[in-house]
Amino acid sequence: MTVNRAALIGRPLRAATYTVSEIDLNDFLGVVTEPDFAPADGSEGRAEIASGRLAPPSFAPFVAVLGLLKTFDWQEDFLFDYRTGTAMFGEQAIEFHRPLLVGESVAISAAISNVYEKQGKQTFDVIEVTFDIKSREEGDLLMSGQQSYILFK
Amino acid sequence: MTAPLNKAWFEDYAVSMALPAIELGPMDRFDYIPIALILRDTNPLHLDRVYAQERGLPDVVQQGPLNQAYLYRYFTSLLHDPWDLVATKMRFAANVFPDDILTCGGEVLAVAPMEAGGGIVTCAVWQRNQKGETILKGEAKARIPSGG
Repeated sequence: MTVNRAALIGRPLRAATYTVSEIDLNDFLGVVTEPDFAPADGSEGRAEIASGRLAPPSFAPFVAVLGLLKTFDWQEDFLFDYRTGTAMFGEQAIEFHRPLLVGESVAISAAISNVYEKQGKQTFDVIEVTFDIKSREEGDLLMSGQQSYILFK
Repeated sequence: MTAPLNKAWFEDYAVSMALPAIELGPMDRFDYIPIALILRDTNPLHLDRVYAQERGLPDVVQQGPLNQAYLYRYFTSLLHDPWDLVATKMRFAANVFPDDILTCGGEVLAVAPMEAGGGIVTCAVWQRNQKGETILKGEAKARIPSGG
């Protein structure tokens, strides 16, 4: 069955939150070594925000991807059956407004900004999502950008 | 990752200048487990070799954000402060598999001085595998301080 997703353009997605946790970051730094951002030894606790420990910029795509995945349901918002279909990331663009702090809770808001069909080896739809990521505490903007998803037909 | 890259000053950058390339790897399938936990994504495509092969792939697929993270780390290692990063734009072009060797590189596209000193440098950045296939390509923009 052919799905027409053009009507999804402009659709606001769910508000979501994510906390840049020490556990996630230490797991990340165990894989992607960042000399300037050594893993914490666990003794910092909740004082991390106050001390201003920074997450590396290389963790930013994870925050965007994780946060955005909480803003939509594949079936309900993208008309896509994730169990049987094939989806992949297309393009991600991010503007950085200030560094990410470990322990910081962020709020993600997103909307479907564009949908179009493309033909490669297969035909697929590209869904473009525009997003803002703000600090929940301060409300200031950390990141903004676009993420596209490729949904094979 | 090889030796740290030299951190150039704004005056050192010129359009068309190649950024020093680095080689990473081989990629390790066991790294995909913590990455799956961080992403809350236990899709067997990233973890189950048999499942991936049944779908016509040679092996499990490395998570896309991990590929990006390596390219981010490469580019920000060129900066005096990693958070001098201003913007990125990256397109996924191909999959990465265990044991792949990745090369990251780039080229300066534009330099724009700032009144306060230093400037903004925009670079094309890319990541390729050992076969020369492009994995990621895009642009990255950063503030670079003046050395003078």
